[in-house]
Amino acid sequence: MTANTTTPATTAYHDPLARRRLIQTIFGRILIYALLLFGAALILIPFFWMVSTSLKTEDQLFVWPPKWLPDPVAFENYFDSWKQLDSIAPGLTFWRIMGNTLFITVLAMFGEMFSAAIVAYGFARFRFKGRDTIFFIMLSTMMIPATLTMVPGFLVWREFGLLNTYDPLTLPALTAWGPAYIFLLRQFFLTIPRDMDDAATVDGANTVQIFFYIMLPMVKPAFLAIGVLAFQGNWNNLQAPLIYLNTTQFFTLILSMQFFQQSLSKSAPKWHYMMAMATMMAAPILLMFFTAQRYFIEGLNVGAVKG
Amino acid sequence: MSKLRIAILIVLVLAMLPITASTSAQDKVTIRITTWAGVEEAAELQAIIDEVNASQDAIEIVHEPKPSDYYTVLQTALAGNEAADLMWIDYGHLEWAFDGVYLDISDYIAADDRATADPDDYFPGIWDAGLVEGGTWGLPWIAQPLVLFYNKDIFDEMGVEYPNPDWTWDDFRAAAVAVTNEDHYGFTMQQGWPPPFLWVYSFGGELVSDDLTQAPIDSPEVIDAINFYASMIWNEELCPSEETIAEEGFEAMMRAGRVAMFIGGAADDYERSTEGTVGVSMLPKGATGENTTTAWVAYTAINADTEHPDEAYDAMVMLTEGIQNWKPSPRISHATVEHFVASIPYKADTAADIVAALPYMRSEYKVFPHVGDFMWGVWRNDFVYPVVRGEDTAEALAPDVRILLEDILAQNQ
Amino acid sequence: MGDPGAFNTYYPTLLRYIGLAIVLCLLIYGTYRGLRALGVKPEAATGFSLITPWIAGRIVLTAFPILLSFYLGFTEYNILWDKPKSLQDPLFHYKYALSLKVMKFDADERVSIAALGKLDAEGPRIARYRELDSFTIGDTNYVIGATDPFFFKAVWLTLRYAVFNVPLGLIAALCVALLLNQSVRGIGYWRTLYYLPAVLPAAATALLWWWLFAPKSGLINWGLGQVGIGPMGWFTDKNLVLPSFIIMSTWGVFGANTVILLAGLKNIPPELYEAAAIDGAGTWSKFRRITIPMLSPALFYNLIMGMIAALQLFTQQAFIPTDREDGWFLNWFIYNEAFNSGRMGYASAVGWLTSILIIAITLLVFRSSTAWVFYESSREGEGA
Repeated sequence: MTANTTTPATTAYHDPLARRRLIQTIFGRILIYALLLFGAALILIPFFWMVSTSLKTEDQLFVWPPKWLPDPVAFENYFDSWKQLDSIAPGLTFWRIMGNTLFITVLAMFGEMFSAAIVAYGFARFRFKGRDTIFFIMLSTMMIPATLTMVPGFLVWREFGLLNTYDPLTLPALTAWGPAYIFLLRQFFLTIPRDMDDAATVDGANTVQIFFYIMLPMVKPAFLAIGVLAFQGNWNNLQAPLIYLNTTQFFTLILSMQFFQQSLSKSAPKWHYMMAMATMMAAPILLMFFTAQRYFIEGLNVGAVKG
Repeated sequence: MSKLRIAILIVLVLAMLPITASTSAQDKVTIRITTWAGVEEAAELQAIIDEVNASQDAIEIVHEPKPSDYYTVLQTALAGNEAADLMWIDYGHLEWAFDGVYLDISDYIAADDRATADPDDYFPGIWDAGLVEGGTWGLPWIAQPLVLFYNKDIFDEMGVEYPNPDWTWDDFRAAAVAVTNEDHYGFTMQQGWPPPFLWVYSFGGELVSDDLTQAPIDSPEVIDAINFYASMIWNEELCPSEETIAEEGFEAMMRAGRVAMFIGGAADDYERSTEGTVGVSMLPKGATGENTTTAWVAYTAINADTEHPDEAYDAMVMLTEGIQNWKPSPRISHATVEHFVASIPYKADTAADIVAALPYMRSEYKVFPHVGDFMWGVWRNDFVYPVVRGEDTAEALAPDVRILLEDILAQNQ
Repeated sequence: MGDPGAFNTYYPTLLRYIGLAIVLCLLIYGTYRGLRALGVKPEAATGFSLITPWIAGRIVLTAFPILLSFYLGFTEYNILWDKPKSLQDPLFHYKYALSLKVMKFDADERVSIAALGKLDAEGPRIARYRELDSFTIGDTNYVIGATDPFFFKAVWLTLRYAVFNVPLGLIAALCVALLLNQSVRGIGYWRTLYYLPAVLPAAATALLWWWLFAPKSGLINWGLGQVGIGPMGWFTDKNLVLPSFIIMSTWGVFGANTVILLAGLKNIPPELYEAAAIDGAGTWSKFRRITIPMLSPALFYNLIMGMIAALQLFTQQAFIPTDREDGWFLNWFIYNEAFNSGRMGYASAVGWLTSILIIAITLLVFRSSTAWVFYESSREGEGA
């Protein structure tokens, strides 16, 4: 399974043993690519089917055998699905939902990025009593399932009088709620040589300046990586909005999708609309993935190597 | 990083912009109402609300439709003190009266001489069923009996006599089998619809004794009813299979002429676009010799925590009067063909058959604490479903389920 | 609340958000000043004050709710009530969730509810044992009765899901990672491609697979039909619910694992393989003795993360209607107990039980890690 060394073809021609090895190698390569292509097909066919269905008219959905390409192409599905939503819940329009989703996602994302960076900085660069214990406790909170805080969380926000607002979905982000993000950033802060802050302190910089002008730029890859992960996490979050948001006009994209599935697709699922909505929901994340792939993978790898 | 800081700065500046308060001073009290109204229903209801709002200058009613997961959403809103002043509830959710959710309007009713608030003008079976926990928790705005819709074209094509009130359930079944062929089915059922208690009552059985201590579901009447139910559902001699229904849609099949008969609420709109091909009949006669039918009843209730109980009550009465002229009304004085046609014009051809069914209405069940567990948790899930899925027989299961049901009743003693 | 327009709903939250940010900054500063005034060294004071936002957040939003949940688990609390009511038997919810008993029946005897009996505890509802499962030894039928069969069914489904889904995802990912680690052309493109399903939002994945698995017109049943396998009721048939979820989740996650494992593979020093080759080790023994041990931290990380995620499945379930009896996972069960049935007390108790289960499983995997996870000593020096 290790790297195959390719024998130069000329010697292979004369040496029967080398020739056999060459054939083996070529055969091995073909097998590898065949397997990779098989895997790729497993991944791409569902994707293709999602986009293809989203462009079909209703009568093409149940055609037997299935048609791979939509004909005619129904781009209007992307608008009609929203018209349908708006018609059952006035005000549930595309722009409003996008606005809500982006508002929540962006606020939560920035909150998580900065608070995690500050807390991680505290854990990484300063020695104080009980630091390692607290850090261990922080890591253990990763094990606490969201289920446990679901009911009391609802009651706490009810006490605050902030149910059915965006507060429960954004404010907690300011308190660094993701242990994994803190861990990731801390690992990066640890790699920065001590001399950096010492030199800065000698130059008369205070802690805030050191943090913003020296430390944050040094951990930029990790900082952006958690930005990407936090964006993705909040964009995809269903459980919290489901519990905290009540008014349809306040819904996020994922909630309105669930609403659509529940209210319009109960008796006969409108697959073309649902696939159109799924595609719309996936599009920004996929776009972000293609442009900022490096940070997605950065976020994954730190856990992998240092875990 | 500097871009980030600029972005944050912009957000900060935007946030500090003063709010341009657009709410002009209003003398009218705003009363919010939550309903499950869907697309068209919400538009029609809005017309009624607009009329009420225009007719006086004390109250402004605002409609907030929540067409999906209504009771979960409503329950969460109530729990969070976010709920509207008025809310539509179906009959079963009168159960929440035991949790103190609704305002008791008995005193208001007694002092009110408007016809809408006159208990004597409501079908007694409907009004009395709403008096749970010694109070009145809202005004019923609809009593919608189950009736039999049928597709005349299919009956004509197959040369079978149209459904009529003299049918027994056996006649009904025979006709359903007779009109079934490869293009269409005689009847359609799915798990839970039509509600099985319909046959229980029609066959002369009861789910709960009057004193709410016994659940005599092992009586021969109830067993017969459930066996009759189970013998028809997904039986391709007369009904489509579960898969076919999942694929084509339950009600959609009736609309598409794939099904000859359908038991639905009197206000269902099968007549709307079918050019007189859909007829309506009372349900067949049961063992009691009556065309027993159950009525789906819904109320407008007042949130017990409302800040304006007087205005909320007034709004409810005005609104209910309007809604009763739009939906099948639970009031005796409204039980005429003229009133029905005025409410739902496209039912001109079928109104007489629907109005004829009204006197046979009874409530779906009795309301008591944990009635949801009783009706859906145990009666439906532990009894009806296993029987229709063929997992067990009604005869064998009934004594066990009776114990479970009576446990629930015993909790309330 | 009605809809006051987009701006008016964002604005108050934005103000409170900024307000909280300022409060937290003040908290950091105030803690620093306070500690300094107490004579704490600047470094320790700075470090501690920087983590105060996390401490404050966890006290209010994690520790307090957890304690509240613990308390609620011993009370009766309908979501419509203002306050919880005390229970005659404080342990009732726990008893109700956990009570099991095994009873003997003759092979032809009917398992009657009356014979299974009642739970001996005073509570808001009469708890009766219901049949959970049965097995036969000889000609005796043993019936397992549970007072809340749905809870055990949800636990059992969730556990089986985690046990199958996590290793399956890891093995698939390991295979792909090994393939990609051969000097494959265009590695970046392959990696992107295989990572795609992992970035697809879970909601979209759920809807997509629900559609692919549709009983009559779904693509998968069509494909199976082509090779002569009859249509299967994927998410509807009670025996196929679990496989359906496993297939869907494996598709969704193995790409992410692949990327992590690939990075792990790239980090294995080639000298190790060269040394092994000199010793005459074959491909399999190199894989066993070098690849697996060197990869074990990454595998371990994936295993832990995968377990925690699998035991909390929620989003997919919300989009795919399945039967309560055979198709509800724990998290969905608890959500419905709390927000659909309104039983907040019981939901809290079950939430605690679930958490204990999840933590126990995680710790078990941690404990086992000393036996099979290999840490290079050189890496341990730097932190923690």
